[in-house]
Amino acid sequence: MTTQTASRYTAEYSKIETTLPGGSLPWLRALRSDALKQFSGCGFPSLREEEWRYTNVSGIEKNLFEPRLEPSDNQIDKDWLENYRLADCWQIVLVDGYYSAEFSVLAGLPENVTIKSLKESLEAGDGQIEPYLGKAVGIDEHSFVAFNTAWFTDGAYIRIPAKTVLDKPVQLLHVVTDPNRLAATRNLVIAESMAQAQVIETYVGVDQAYLSAAVTEVFVEPNADLTMIKLQCESEKAYHFGGTYVKQARDARFNHHNFAFGSLLARSDIHSDLSHGSECHLNGLYLGVKRQHLDNHTRINHLEPYGISRELYKGVLDGRARGVFQGRVVVAEDAQKTDSEMNNRNLLLSNDAEADTKPQLEIYADDVKCAHGVTVGQLDEKSVFYLQSRCVDEETARNMLTFAFANEMVTKITQKSLHDLVLAEVLKRFPQQGIMQDWL
Amino acid sequence: MSASAKEIEQLIGKEYKQGFVTELETDTFPPGLDEEVIHKLWKIKNEPEFMLEYRLKAFRHWQTMKSPEWAFVKFEPIDYQAVSYYSAPKRKEDGPKSLDEVDPQILEAYKKLGIPLDEQERLAGVAVDAVFDSVSVATTFKSKLKEAGVIFCPISEALREYPELVQQYLGSVVPTGDNYFAALNSAVFTDGSFVYIPKGVRCPMELSTYFRINAANTGQFERTLIIADEGSHVSYLEGCTAPMRDENQLHAAVVELIALENAEIKYSTVQNWYPGDKEGKGGIYNFVTKRADCRGDNSKVSWTQVETGSAITWKYPSCVLTGNNSIGEFYSVALTNNYQQADTGTKMIHIGKNTRSTIISKGISAGHAQNTYRGLVKVLKGAENARNYTQCDSLLVGDKCGAHTFPYVEVKQPSAQVEHEATTSKISEDQLFFCQQRGLSAEDAVSMIVNGFCKEVFKELPMEFAVEAQALLGLSLEGSVG
Repeated sequence: MTTQTASRYTAEYSKIETTLPGGSLPWLRALRSDALKQFSGCGFPSLREEEWRYTNVSGIEKNLFEPRLEPSDNQIDKDWLENYRLADCWQIVLVDGYYSAEFSVLAGLPENVTIKSLKESLEAGDGQIEPYLGKAVGIDEHSFVAFNTAWFTDGAYIRIPAKTVLDKPVQLLHVVTDPNRLAATRNLVIAESMAQAQVIETYVGVDQAYLSAAVTEVFVEPNADLTMIKLQCESEKAYHFGGTYVKQARDARFNHHNFAFGSLLARSDIHSDLSHGSECHLNGLYLGVKRQHLDNHTRINHLEPYGISRELYKGVLDGRARGVFQGRVVVAEDAQKTDSEMNNRNLLLSNDAEADTKPQLEIYADDVKCAHGVTVGQLDEKSVFYLQSRCVDEETARNMLTFAFANEMVTKITQKSLHDLVLAEVLKRFPQQGIMQDWL
Repeated sequence: MSASAKEIEQLIGKEYKQGFVTELETDTFPPGLDEEVIHKLWKIKNEPEFMLEYRLKAFRHWQTMKSPEWAFVKFEPIDYQAVSYYSAPKRKEDGPKSLDEVDPQILEAYKKLGIPLDEQERLAGVAVDAVFDSVSVATTFKSKLKEAGVIFCPISEALREYPELVQQYLGSVVPTGDNYFAALNSAVFTDGSFVYIPKGVRCPMELSTYFRINAANTGQFERTLIIADEGSHVSYLEGCTAPMRDENQLHAAVVELIALENAEIKYSTVQNWYPGDKEGKGGIYNFVTKRADCRGDNSKVSWTQVETGSAITWKYPSCVLTGNNSIGEFYSVALTNNYQQADTGTKMIHIGKNTRSTIISKGISAGHAQNTYRGLVKVLKGAENARNYTQCDSLLVGDKCGAHTFPYVEVKQPSAQVEHEATTSKISEDQLFFCQQRGLSAEDAVSMIVNGFCKEVFKELPMEFAVEAQALLGLSLEGSVG
């Protein structure tokens, strides 16, 4: 029963309530109590909900994940973490849901740029947060958002001032160090008008079962240009929910690259609201092996005319993995001249793998160009034959083609250190990685 | 908007020609539904014992169910107790043995609809079963079909004359508890057509059923069952109309098709129930469950539908591809205008090896209408080398309507190949200009472009229907050039 789980969490809530940031802010207290009510009313989403019909979260319900009441003093394997740290970036690190000054690299940051802990900013009484927090997504979106709103302990607060181009990308590194830990973080990213920046979200954790529930609210103000990359490399025993909710102002550009590699069960939501002339590109790659379940949910709302959106998600599924893609494009009544394209391609490598895909178009305006396409299948036999005719053995040929299929999404990453990290993660998940590397 | 815009608008607003009422003396049950009504129904239809149980089981199950809410349509809840579940033209004794005994007023009504039941008339290649409210009033060419061994009769007659055959297949594709409306239909269905094509027989003519709702405050619940035995072939057509009324009327039908080894069934529908007036008042609620089971190897079922009527259309003709190498096809044109709502599409369930399915869906939305394609392609684990191709195109006419595409693809077999494509666009100014510049009126140009848009589907229709469908499309679009 979903509500039973909810009541277990709700019962524990009083323990953590006093330690949560923003207790002294009436608006945040009200928001949290509404969210708690919402969550205890409906519990975690069930398969009966249309947006969750392919994703069963009962694995999350069986456990009771515990949030930390204060920052962790766990020893972190620094060498391991080093793998995921991108050298040429500003870094803000969150350990078990709390900002860690020790691991973050922010020295030399231009004064007008804000990259800091959301908790600290709230406690310092930063009045700039209230107009944004909870405005890109409502607690009624679904219960994970409500859950996150009630429970979040900390997060990153990133603000790029107007007409500023950030020289280096910002890396937002989420680390979980304990088994059975709940890491609920809330991030706020604001690119003011005509600003330009790149934000990289990375999720990693120890090889244990834990729940990471992150919500990121993004505001791209007029004519700003923001690129976000999400690299989800959670432990293969972990549960991950990550929602990115974006509001794009007039002529704002938003690019998103979503790499879903880790977790036993992961769900990612990317929603964007487009205004007049704004542009949105969503790219994604999910690689599922073993018993992984990777659910990718995207929604693009064209609210005003002249918006452009492009979406390409690719999935490679092996073992008993299940990949889910749900993409929805909504064109509102006034959003004439919208130009939208959505594509989802899936490659099934094993007899037990499964792909479920649900691309949707919901159109209320007539002067629009909208298209979507979906494929599920195998490698093209002609391509395999071609390679064989060039003296490549069949297995290698298949590996090459599979890799090429996935690599299309990796090559879209321009930043060198990140590109190499993503590529390494992709190769890690291919069975014949040695062979693969020979070809590179 | 251009000048042509206004003309398209005019083009969409033509009147519903089939909206007349035939004055007849009828036997009608008082409104209401309980077990007693079902008993009465069973008795009046003189059905075999097993049917009572079947109906009651369905009814009891229906009572535990809730009206589904997932579809992209909006309507006031239906009061099922306010509907009359049986209405039939009064008849003397046993019912007509030949056409001479059919009430001349009914014959007149069908004549007005362009369906002359008189066997000598021009539709001479097609056998027609005419269903008027709750009963079948006439079936033509019965004797000629009998020569070929084909059974084509009202289902109530089949229940009396071939009870074993009906019992074997009834509900085997759409079980009584399948969904809310199918359960209701199983409990209260009154008539419909029954077709059995014996082994190796190619049905010598097209079979057709014409459904007509006439009485007020009644629901029409018909049931069609078509069985194509091994190696047989049949083409079946279905047409429907209803009078113009301010109240909404319910039509909840169930169609079951069974194709055994090497058999082929082609099922075509031209649905033109009363769509309601310009303000969205009145019209038929068309909630239909249609499903085909390609039970035998190498069997094939092809659905073709042209949906222009009904206030709300809610139907998903589906194919369960059980047999190896079986083929399912779905060709659809759904046109909605004014305040019509359509949520339609198909389900292709691939179970057997090397099964193939094709889905071509064309949606046209005008006025304030909402048109939704909703489809499922499911490939089960055993369906090696399954293949699906889906194409859904939507055309928007005017800026107040909506067109939506909700496909579901679920694949559990790596050797399967599934493709889905969808586009949404409007009639381009360039195309219109091009046609007009060559001397066509805007009205003709729109009609031509729309017909071209639907051509892939129309070419699947039997001759007589294709002509009717094209004319119907022009008619329904009238007044919507935008």
